Amino acid sequence: MDFLLSEDERRFQESVSEFAKRHIEPRWIEIDEKGRIPLELIKSMGDQGLFAIPVPDKYGGMGGTVLMAALAIEEIAYHDPAVAVAVYALLNNGWPLALSLFGSEAAKQEILPKVASGDAFFGIGSTEPQGGSDVAGTRTVARRSGNKWVVNGEKTYISGVREIQELPAGGGFFLVSKAESAEYGHRNMVDFALLPKWNGKMRDGWKPTVYDDIGRHGLSTGGFKLEDFEVEDDLRIGDVGKGFYLLMEGFNIARVLVAAATIGSARWALDRGAEWLRSRRLFQGRPLASFEGISFRFSELYAELEAAKYFVYRAAWMIDKTYLENPPRFKPKDLNVPVSLAKMKGPETATRIYEEVLKWLGAYGYTKESAVYRGWLGTFSYTIGAEGTQNIMRYIIARDVIGSEYVSHTG
Amino acid sequence: MKILVAVKPTFDIGQLKFEKDGTPLLDACPVSLGEADRCALEEAMRIKERLGATVAAATVGSSEAHYKAIRDSYAMGADEGYLVKADDPWKLDALSVASAIARVAAATGPYDLVLTGSGAGDTHASVIGPMIAGILGIPLIAGVDRLEVRGPGVVAGTCKLEDGSYTYEARTPAVVTVTSEANAPRIPNLRAILRSKGMQIREMSAEELGVDLRRLEPLSVRKYEIKRKRIIYKAEDQKGAAEASAELLAALRSEGVLS
Repeated sequence: MDFLLSEDERRFQESVSEFAKRHIEPRWIEIDEKGRIPLELIKSMGDQGLFAIPVPDKYGGMGGTVLMAALAIEEIAYHDPAVAVAVYALLNNGWPLALSLFGSEAAKQEILPKVASGDAFFGIGSTEPQGGSDVAGTRTVARRSGNKWVVNGEKTYISGVREIQELPAGGGFFLVSKAESAEYGHRNMVDFALLPKWNGKMRDGWKPTVYDDIGRHGLSTGGFKLEDFEVEDDLRIGDVGKGFYLLMEGFNIARVLVAAATIGSARWALDRGAEWLRSRRLFQGRPLASFEGISFRFSELYAELEAAKYFVYRAAWMIDKTYLENPPRFKPKDLNVPVSLAKMKGPETATRIYEEVLKWLGAYGYTKESAVYRGWLGTFSYTIGAEGTQNIMRYIIARDVIGSEYVSHTG
Repeated sequence: MKILVAVKPTFDIGQLKFEKDGTPLLDACPVSLGEADRCALEEAMRIKERLGATVAAATVGSSEAHYKAIRDSYAMGADEGYLVKADDPWKLDALSVASAIARVAAATGPYDLVLTGSGAGDTHASVIGPMIAGILGIPLIAGVDRLEVRGPGVVAGTCKLEDGSYTYEARTPAVVTVTSEANAPRIPNLRAILRSKGMQIREMSAEELGVDLRRLEPLSVRKYEIKRKRIIYKAEDQKGAAEASAELLAALRSEGVLS
């Protein structure tokens, strides 16, 4: 067993760290204040090859791995602890990879190069007003009409709704829907690459709204209605009836990257905490770190962060061995528990670290002058949901470890 | 045009930790391609992109970090890489390193330009470039913040000094040392990093180059620390405050803090 990153991985990690330090760190607070990521920053990230990292070269990707993408997202989040830029980047890595694995050749050729270059965004459109976790309860319906599909329905809490309207080429979402009827269950589902704006043109039948979040302001969250929105059959992702399963595989990829973002942000917070424990002196000049009530808590949090990091790295490595290695070393279902461990542990560790560091900073931590709260609010979003809620992660672990016959969530 | 860039890995001084007695923990300190050397490489790449050039990178030392320095140069766009093998490279004296680079230039050139960082981020000796120029007997422009090729056989370097900017012209071949203020060096993307891995590094031995590599044996290396003097100038009243202020100013002048 070798716990060291390869030289390629370390050099890539260093290069992303340098890019993020130079181009993201000086503006992360401004991004959070103003509530948007400048388009020229997105473009420069595309030029630097930070999108579509694990997507093959022939589709404009970097030909790297999911582990490399996770390392990149972690570094970006370290320099953007409010995680807007990191989440933009992780969506634009995870879902493009899912498209490159499961999409039609035409869709891959058309979409992926523009996503990789930073001219377009490709995220996920799954959650609906009646719920996100109950994917089998999806009510968006796609009806076949010749060589097209006509889609009707509504999606909510979707990242990137404003960005795709503003980016030069546009973009869209890995959309999950029911084929022909909204009958409950997961056997009649089908996925599409939904492109409300493409090559600079808005398509008819897409009615977006943007919500006002309490944190992670740089990246928009919104919703949209689909009213007789037409999708070419070329943009169907996988076979009819496979939609649920392919979505779950896509979630596994994206969940690891979500966890990577939260541990990058948490590492930033813990580093700020350590600096404070070294420099803050009380009771006749003793550093705060000399009080064991505080330094021992630091050690506990450090251990949690290290554990979360290794969950992320292992899960990312397993995804690479499942999808990017031939023959594959694992089956997609082997990823469920490792990925859920990473996704459960990452965001929860991050918010615990933020809460503690805020307390170490005392009243200053509670002011808006201290930027720590921005990371707290940003990572807190991922203890709620995004690519699956924390309780769904717990459900998956219990189901696969205890046994699905004992752990049931339906009827 | 043919350009040779002399590069070396440097210790990241910001992350250097010390034993309690002040001994630096070099083994635990991150090492990477020096900042000014990266700026020198960036200048070479800009000339290559503008005017067309072949860029070679050269380093002296056999540590893993030295091989990585050449691979990092490749990732930035260098076409050729030369590594002069030497154990214990951190102890090599500057003249040996400069002689080795000069021999590499002679053996693989001729070069129109030899570039290097104006000074390494760890030793700050700033002597390699001038020594190379001296050994090769060619002009030197040192500490350049802006470099331009002004036509066939002429380069100009602008140096910012305390009393203003000076621009010097030199006929090529010439040595130019570049400061870390000269540019923002490009950051290689993953594709460039992966490509650089497969590029051949040409290894050369000191014997093959006919150079005698000498090492310094430092008697001791300790953290440079200025002890706080903790002198307190007390004043009871306004008169006392004036006297204490005068004493403080005199002390600061005698320490060289104020002139």
